[in-house]
Amino acid sequence: MIVRPRLDDHLVIGKYTGKVIVGVGLLMIIPLAVSLGFSEWDTAVDFVISIAACLIFGSGTQLFCRTEKDMNWSHGLAVASGAWVWATALGCLPHYLSGHAGSYLDALFDVMSGYTTTGLYLLQDLDHIANGLNMWRHLLTYAGGQGIVVVALTFLFKGTSGAYKLYVGEGKDERLLPNVVQTARAIWLVSLTWLGVGTLALTATGLYLGQSPVRAFFHGMWVFMGAWSTGGFAPQSFNTFWFHSLTYEVVCIVVMIAGSFNFALHWAMWTGDRKEIRKNIETISMFVTLTLTTLIATFWLAKANVYPDAMSLFRKVFYQIVSGHTTTGFSTIYARAFVTQWGPVGLVAATIAMAIGASACSTGGGIKGIRMGIISKAVLQDIRRMISPESALISQKYHHIRNVWLDDGLVRTTLTITVAYVTLYGVATVVGVLCGFPLDQAAFEAVSAASNTGLSCGITTPAMPAVMKVTYILAMWLGRLEFMSVFALGGYLWSVVRGR
Amino acid sequence: MMERIPRMFAALALGTALLAAAAPAFAQDVFPPNKPDSTELINHMNVPGDITKGLFWNGKTITFHGEAIGEVMVRGDYAWIHLNDDAYMLENVEEGAELQGYNSGMAVWIPAALTKQIDTYGDYQHEGSIVEVQGVFNGACKEHGGDMDIHATALQMLRPGHVVVDPVPPWKAALAVGLSALAVLLFWLERKYRHVIRPNRGV
Repeated sequence: MIVRPRLDDHLVIGKYTGKVIVGVGLLMIIPLAVSLGFSEWDTAVDFVISIAACLIFGSGTQLFCRTEKDMNWSHGLAVASGAWVWATALGCLPHYLSGHAGSYLDALFDVMSGYTTTGLYLLQDLDHIANGLNMWRHLLTYAGGQGIVVVALTFLFKGTSGAYKLYVGEGKDERLLPNVVQTARAIWLVSLTWLGVGTLALTATGLYLGQSPVRAFFHGMWVFMGAWSTGGFAPQSFNTFWFHSLTYEVVCIVVMIAGSFNFALHWAMWTGDRKEIRKNIETISMFVTLTLTTLIATFWLAKANVYPDAMSLFRKVFYQIVSGHTTTGFSTIYARAFVTQWGPVGLVAATIAMAIGASACSTGGGIKGIRMGIISKAVLQDIRRMISPESALISQKYHHIRNVWLDDGLVRTTLTITVAYVTLYGVATVVGVLCGFPLDQAAFEAVSAASNTGLSCGITTPAMPAVMKVTYILAMWLGRLEFMSVFALGGYLWSVVRGR
Repeated sequence: MMERIPRMFAALALGTALLAAAAPAFAQDVFPPNKPDSTELINHMNVPGDITKGLFWNGKTITFHGEAIGEVMVRGDYAWIHLNDDAYMLENVEEGAELQGYNSGMAVWIPAALTKQIDTYGDYQHEGSIVEVQGVFNGACKEHGGDMDIHATALQMLRPGHVVVDPVPPWKAALAVGLSALAVLLFWLERKYRHVIRPNRGV
């Protein structure tokens, strides 16, 4: 029997959702300040309206949903996934009011893409948008990378016992420190340190490349945010192709790879355990799959004689594949060049890299390196079982921060999530094919959206059918939250309707 | 003298009508579409259907015009500029242009001295100069790590850039004031009644 939620259940969900949305509103103060600094008055007013809307929603829900009840697991999961929906619905107001979004749906698409660190966009005339709006695009992808609930946990929550449920609901389950609020703050400590160092490196490079100090700083900060969060937004429509610089690309690659690492790995390194990076199953898994996909694409493009020399070939292939594998979505080629230059094998290699994706508990998306590692270990274990005597006890372990023994329960959970991702990739691909796109291109774009990558082969445009926009929005949301909290929200809504 | 006045008016009216009729044609004549434009360069670089047969436009000298966007990045004697030949080249969204898709353009590697003719680079508050360049198109430039670019040897100014003003519509200002007042009221009420908890009850 499905139990219908009581009023207190609604109140607790409303209260915590309100808190998160207040956090989103407060975050908009930063782009508002940038707009005021650049005398972008119309954009500044857009942000005042949007901040007010967030505060009205946030304060209103907290006012009407006053309760002392603590969160249980279903509340936490429903708040996490629901907060992302409301944060998107209200966070897209600056996009919509700017006049650069073709519709409210397009604005929703861009903001969901930002929060989920995907990087696909539908904003039009990007090269003429305000600095304030650019700040917001990159800030929301930076905040989304850490998790918008983590933002709220860090600044707005005071040690509530339900905080861990929210944290897990957002697709993160690593406890860097015993207290989850301290864990959220540790994630921010790592991220802000990288923000400082990365912005400095990219600003200095930008100055060296001929940018003015102001543009070098803002472009450096925004590109860092796009790389670290594995978001892939960039301030110009040319993306990182704008800079025409090997140095800039190298810095971006370092930040993209760092951003794709598990926060637990970052914390281990932070606290002095430098060996962890060599032993961790996720880094090993990523090294193997990154090498394989790079080799496939390099072999094909060398055969097709697309690039003039080995250096150009490796530079282009490695950058796009790292960008895809870390689920960032930066590119130094035009979107259509994936089709016109890279061809079907290049597309497939990039698609595989995106599908596998980054590390768990990172800013990235995709199936994740740890799952690829666990599945590989499980397959090896089965092969060893087959070739060993029946009485032999075959055990397998892997290293992720500590040594973990592989058991059937863990493998089953891993396979469940992996199958869910593959199904999501498949469904989004079918929608693309039904809308008239070729299979390889539809698969590339669908995997890009569902793995929160953001590379495009030219299918994602403002003229794309609305059904594809909605499909990609749902794919980005499901992929980022790793299904469970979205399913929990669905279950909650079902119990409201059908429960007794 | 009095007889001439109707003729003068007639001549003036005729001149105005001719100018009005000629204006769109004049605008089109000044900025005819690029052949090839950036979309064609990007989408049809290769012999259709066969990636292995080399780049169609690669190595050919082309003439290309567009709005100078963003900034010039000077690297020694040469510089990078970016020219957009998209729907926002003449007028951007802030000036009232209708939304017509993404930006589209080409990166241009050009002697830095030539870029001094460009007075404005397009951004939110500026519509950039429209310039025309002549040069060799590279589908994958050997000198620049495989980038797609134009190595230009000549630049001609077609239209200077200008400042763009994006005024705040009155309805937006009024909405901002109204919503802000409501937000402050709700924020204050929430703080005041935060600890007044209603008793537990079911649905």
